[in-house]
Amino acid sequence: MHIPDGFIPISQCIVYYVIVIIVGYFAVNWAKNNLDERQIPLLAVLGAGIFAIMAMNIPIPWGTSGHMIGSPLVSILLGSPYAGFLVISVVLIIQALAFGDGGLTVLGANIFNMGIIGSFVGFYVFKALKPLIKSAGSVFIGSFLAIFIAAVACAFELSIAGTFPLEAGLIFMGLYHAVIGLVAEGVISTIVYVTMKNLRPDLISSGSLD
Amino acid sequence: MENKDKNLLIVGVVIAFLIAISAAFFASTNPDGLESTAEKLNPGALDAPAVHEAIMPDYKIPIFGDSPISGAIAIVMGVIIVFALAYFVGSILKKKSDK
Repeated sequence: MHIPDGFIPISQCIVYYVIVIIVGYFAVNWAKNNLDERQIPLLAVLGAGIFAIMAMNIPIPWGTSGHMIGSPLVSILLGSPYAGFLVISVVLIIQALAFGDGGLTVLGANIFNMGIIGSFVGFYVFKALKPLIKSAGSVFIGSFLAIFIAAVACAFELSIAGTFPLEAGLIFMGLYHAVIGLVAEGVISTIVYVTMKNLRPDLISSGSLD
Repeated sequence: MENKDKNLLIVGVVIAFLIAISAAFFASTNPDGLESTAEKLNPGALDAPAVHEAIMPDYKIPIFGDSPISGAIAIVMGVIIVFALAYFVGSILKKKSDK
């Protein structure tokens, strides 16, 4: 759901940039108080892996394709939505600057959707569900809802921008990303989480383990 | 860095490379969810030019053409850049060790 240049008027683009800068301030504070040196290899590897997997568009019905956004997984493994925000921001900045995937004027909006909404929804749904169901199931549902709600937010933004009509935008964006959430985001996040939990539980934030 | 952390780095980066190369050959070329929505609701919006020229547009290296090899090189370059930048960001933002 990388928005290209021209989809959102500049005046509205600025609003998303301002929100991203404010969240960025809190993310830097989080890192300076909580990001352990031992977590840095995992952080960098997750960024590299997510960049690669975002290039792997998988086909979904209706002649469409999609890929995961990765921010819920990073947030859950490293124990904070600010971790997801930082890693996905790096990925989105490189995608926009070097590869033209997502525009520069709308970079703030893309970070807002995939980096902020994706991270916060994924992390807090996971946290809310974990006492009730097994952690792997919580990862799946949290990751699914993260990309779905980010897509719904994107439809609202493009409606405010006057680019998509609201109702049809919500239906298409919601439907496509619900499918991507089930077959990509939910499944891949759960596989990576379970693998890490078995091989390197010491690197997963203690609050994200059973 | 401990050995098991080095192993994580190596295994992780190798997996990222394998995904990157596979993506160049096997990724779906169908429009993604947002493009597909735009094609149905407002195809004119897709004609707007980007405000800058990317050096590897559409995950391809221009001098190597449109082949999957060109794509694999571009995506592997991206993996390396993202890895390095994420590592750098983590290193400058990490908490100070209490000594």
